[in-house]
Amino acid sequence: MNPTPAVETNPKPGEKPAVSFAQELVHELRVRDAMTSLTVTASATDSLRSIQHLMKTHRISGVPILAQDELVGIVSIEDIINALDKGHISEPAEGWMSRKIVTLRDHFSLVRAVAEFDRHEFGRFPVLDGNNRLVGIITRGDITNCLMHHLERRAEEVMAQEAARVAPRADDEKAQRVVINADVKSGDFDSAGKLSQRMREVLRVRGIDPDARRRAAIIAYEAETNIIIHSLGGRITASIDPHKVSIEAMDSGPGIENLDLAMQEGWSTAGPLARELGFGAGMGLPNIKRCADKLAIQSELGSSTRLHAEVLLQKAGTSS
Amino acid sequence: MKLKTSAELPPLLALVQASPLTKLDGVVLTGCYLSDLLSDVLANARPGVLWVTIQTHRNVVSVASMKDIAAVLFTCGRKPEAAIIAEAARENIWLLNTPLTTFESAGKLWEAGLR
Repeated sequence: MNPTPAVETNPKPGEKPAVSFAQELVHELRVRDAMTSLTVTASATDSLRSIQHLMKTHRISGVPILAQDELVGIVSIEDIINALDKGHISEPAEGWMSRKIVTLRDHFSLVRAVAEFDRHEFGRFPVLDGNNRLVGIITRGDITNCLMHHLERRAEEVMAQEAARVAPRADDEKAQRVVINADVKSGDFDSAGKLSQRMREVLRVRGIDPDARRRAAIIAYEAETNIIIHSLGGRITASIDPHKVSIEAMDSGPGIENLDLAMQEGWSTAGPLARELGFGAGMGLPNIKRCADKLAIQSELGSSTRLHAEVLLQKAGTSS
Repeated sequence: MKLKTSAELPPLLALVQASPLTKLDGVVLTGCYLSDLLSDVLANARPGVLWVTIQTHRNVVSVASMKDIAAVLFTCGRKPEAAIIAEAARENIWLLNTPLTTFESAGKLWEAGLR
């Protein structure tokens, strides 16, 4: 008699193992897809202190050191910590930078990059292009982010295709409703616009007029970024019916202190990071108001905010 | 407002010292919009324009795609990450960058008749 396996590892018939797409990705994606493109370098005569400031300003953990355009070393956050600890933070980089540099090529596959991380003990690799030019820097975190981004994108594509495929087959209106929702995390600027994108795809497949499509997308995007910038997190839902889209954004606080002020163009309470990224113009709610055919906002300070907006739909080419 | 077909584009771009980051494929510009504020672009940019900005964040592609913006010119030598460039290529948004400042780029584009 065969012993019972402790863990079921075989996929069900006709179902691919869950890891296969990720495995495919690490072979397909290149170092250049995942790396941070190079904008920040220092010279060997720069002080470690000035390099520490560069890291802080640009939120990076390693700075390549160039002499006459040639890569001669790298200063990592570990080097900076050592310098602070041992008191040589004011000295030039050349005395303390790591000179043993292993580089990767931008055309290497990510699977090869991962192998290099395993082989060496470095936290980051400088990346060279075919002409030996330094073009970027890559960390394990960059690889993880890149893979997550592609996996997420793929999942969304499948969901949008599924939503668009299933809906138009039904006869009655209720059955044609497609509901898309997404959890929105506070401060997660990289994910802004994902729900909006999925919603647009459904509207496009249904042949909805571009102006209505655009207005619905702007409402969803502004509502989503509002949750990212101002709230502790929340959820956004788009219900797409044949004749209207309803967008519902609900957060878990802290509420809007003065809704009249918030509706005023140019008034914003956004923080410095949001402003640096081009948010916080004080136009979010006014934009939503301009684009919506119907809008209701309920908010109380110390409690949650709920926004409900509707856009009426018509097929492209039909008169209003 | 002038239309710039792909035949007219290369000299216009040489004028602002722009280098393409994605492939030029049947781009027609209907005008130009300058802003570093995403909500402002969502509110005021017209479809088909060239958007000039210093912002290189992922959200630039989201906003451009939402507003059917044809092309984005990054100024002051800024360049978005490779993943963002790839995303723009998928969305059919043409990306370029220039070492010039936003002000210098705008001046030259206006002079060239992109109004």
